[in-house]
Amino acid sequence: MDILVVGVNYRTAPIELRERVAFRAEHLAQAYAELQQDTGLPEALILSTCNRVEVYAGAPASGDVASRLVSFLRSHGAFLEGEGQDSFYAYEEAQAVRHLFRVASGLDSMVLGEAEILHQVKQAYERAKGHGATGKVLNALFQKALNAGKAVRTHTAIGRGGMSVGTVAIELAQKIFGELRPYTVLLLGAGKVSEMTLKRLIARGASRVRIANRSAERADLLATRYGGERVALDALEDQLVEADIVIASCSVERPLLTGERIQRLMPRRHHRPLCLIDLGVPRNIESSVGQAENIYLFDIDDLQDLVAHHHGQRQQAAGEAQRIIDSKVRHFLAWRQQERGAFIPSASVLAGAR
Amino acid sequence: MLLFVHITCVLLSYAAFLLAFYSGLLFLLQERQLKHKRMGVLFHRLPALDTLDRVNVRAIGWGFALLSVGILVGAIIGRRATGQWWNNDPKVYGTVMLWSVYLLLWLLRVRSALRGRKVAVLSVLGFGLVLVIWLGVNHALLLGTKAL
Repeated sequence: MDILVVGVNYRTAPIELRERVAFRAEHLAQAYAELQQDTGLPEALILSTCNRVEVYAGAPASGDVASRLVSFLRSHGAFLEGEGQDSFYAYEEAQAVRHLFRVASGLDSMVLGEAEILHQVKQAYERAKGHGATGKVLNALFQKALNAGKAVRTHTAIGRGGMSVGTVAIELAQKIFGELRPYTVLLLGAGKVSEMTLKRLIARGASRVRIANRSAERADLLATRYGGERVALDALEDQLVEADIVIASCSVERPLLTGERIQRLMPRRHHRPLCLIDLGVPRNIESSVGQAENIYLFDIDDLQDLVAHHHGQRQQAAGEAQRIIDSKVRHFLAWRQQERGAFIPSASVLAGAR
Repeated sequence: MLLFVHITCVLLSYAAFLLAFYSGLLFLLQERQLKHKRMGVLFHRLPALDTLDRVNVRAIGWGFALLSVGILVGAIIGRRATGQWWNNDPKVYGTVMLWSVYLLLWLLRVRSALRGRKVAVLSVLGFGLVLVIWLGVNHALLLGTKAL
């Protein structure tokens, strides 16, 4: 036995158990000392995130290392007899390698393909190394795991965002305008989804915000919350001349914006591109508006289709990611095999030593 | 020396028009993704429309300015050699046509009379004219001299 992992994750243990067994960064030095004392492992690494707590061991150790590690984690979490009985899993050798590579790539995450875990794995590795807990086996294993995680992110679409109507809308706006800072966002109607979308736009740099709403009170509230300005719904045309990104979600009987109206406005806008996001049902903007030049219109169905499409892409990307991981695991195991073989000096080495 | 300036300016202006062609082409591709509401590989790989538009406008502006200097210096060279400002050379006609086309395109874009897709289409077509004049006219001249 060389490589082993024991742990709990979001699938096997509820948050109440995970938080007890988790390790805080400032207690790691002590934890590594105890681990060394309890198990006598020459190489160990603790990976503790909000979704998993795992201990990796790299050692030609004797005896039942897995059960010793489980009892180490149990006593760290002050588990009672019988508590979290089925929560722990253990993988050895090839399975352990595969597990870590999947974790580092975000394939084992609650949100498939999330990027944070790669950083967390890296941090855990650096800390373990800092505490002198790792050695030849785990150093190689974790370097290869980080490498696999990066390869998966670069070569597949697994990490691509756009999982909600709001994030898809922002990705689209960014592909029209690039940097959002100099552009004006106009909110027509101030519903919940509009607010979420606005919030994300601001997070991506949008700084000029105008809000038009039936209820001035709600518009004022959003204006103060997001550093925007309330404008009158009556002055819609003037606002449309200045705006670059419009998020519409009014409840209306007839569309606010018709193809004819927008055609009339475009010369006044000097034909600057206009991104229209229509979250309203019934729609606030006539679909013919989207055919006009330099206008990019997305209604709620377009956005939902794109979300669904993304979801499908992620699933597909997960398949590709698995193939990359499989090949990286094979490489690593082949390397390990060679390393072990190298302990027996070959004829040429002996000849050189003479 | 003048000849060197002439050739450098003209070649650099062609390079700028190539850049305008390229950014125009990418603009058309990205615009298509957005209009068709697709977020595929092209969508993610290609830059934002605004970025491509900026590159395009600048390339047209620089190309036009360099071509103007190139033509002016060319005229001076011609005057020194033949005593005339104007030569009845198909290449000269072609180049002046090219100059007018890009002047028009640049004016339309800068004054925002045209924007987006149409400018992109014209920068792609404009480079076609560059190729016709640069390669085609050289080729025709070569054939012409051979025929003589």
